[in-house]
Amino acid sequence: MDVQTQNKWDRASRTYDFFAAVDDKRLGSEKEQLLAKARGKTLHVAAGTGNDFKFFPVGMDIVSIDISPKMLERAKIKAAAYKGSIELREADVHNLDYPEATFDTVTTVFTFCSVPNPIAGLQELHRVLKPGGQILMLEHVRSTAIGPIGIMMDLMTQLTRQFGPELNRDTVGNVQKAGFRLRRVENAYLDIVKMIEAVKNRSTP
Amino acid sequence: MLLQIGDYLAGAMIGVVTALIVRIIIWSGMDMVIAMLVGGGIGMIVSLLISFMLSPLLGIVETMVPGSLTGMYGGMLFAMRDSMAAGSRTMAAALAVGAIFGIVVTVTIKLYNHALRGTVMEAGD
Repeated sequence: MDVQTQNKWDRASRTYDFFAAVDDKRLGSEKEQLLAKARGKTLHVAAGTGNDFKFFPVGMDIVSIDISPKMLERAKIKAAAYKGSIELREADVHNLDYPEATFDTVTTVFTFCSVPNPIAGLQELHRVLKPGGQILMLEHVRSTAIGPIGIMMDLMTQLTRQFGPELNRDTVGNVQKAGFRLRRVENAYLDIVKMIEAVKNRSTP
Repeated sequence: MLLQIGDYLAGAMIGVVTALIVRIIIWSGMDMVIAMLVGGGIGMIVSLLISFMLSPLLGIVETMVPGSLTGMYGGMLFAMRDSMAAGSRTMAAALAVGAIFGIVVTVTIKLYNHALRGTVMEAGD
């Protein structure tokens, strides 16, 4: 377990809901649109305080993991309110305690900006996903369409990585490097917030 | 609607605060390159702090992207003007330029967002 990352998010759990108060007004419809595509046994990575649970279709079988026990403690009430099954588990996405080919769907919402080793994390998700399974992601990434914003994100990341996420990641590229095949990519805000859908090939062991 | 108004106010606020601090710190005759770097640094920190403070009301991404552009590039611009004594003559005028710059950047980002939103790649199953 990455104790440094765990401590960072344990501290953030106290103010997480306060700072995420309007997230659903801004990007709630995108979250709903994306998570509506979840099928079968689903692994939700980075539960946070459970703000995304309400966007899942009712009646699903979901395992929601987070590296922070304090986040999971806060997520309990929202998990109990979900009309389906949500099992909360403390876990590090780099090293999951699940056998290969366990899940039909993996979902992430603003997660891979903060995972210390994103390709290793995505490879681990690839491992636990069944062949033909899908990964659904809403993530913020480095802008490539607007040059000055890309440069600004590179500079700002030197500050933001000290206390939170990295702003300049190429998550679409990382998904492919981890072995997934892209199915669909949609810009939700500029070319910075993206909905990414990818699949694990059926022939992949 | 309130979020949209908030976006413009946040842009203006970041522009004003950046212009204010730059006006206080940068003196006429200062080396222009140094002034530009200092102005950009000031703007970056100002925009991060204000975006962070406003994020519970407006959302962090939507505030930080136009805000940091206003702060960083605006800070550079304001500092260059002030170092060359080519800037606004009064503090009020300098702050007005900051506010206008912030609003213009916010409008530009909204136009870009309109153009860029949507599907960029679809391969199917």
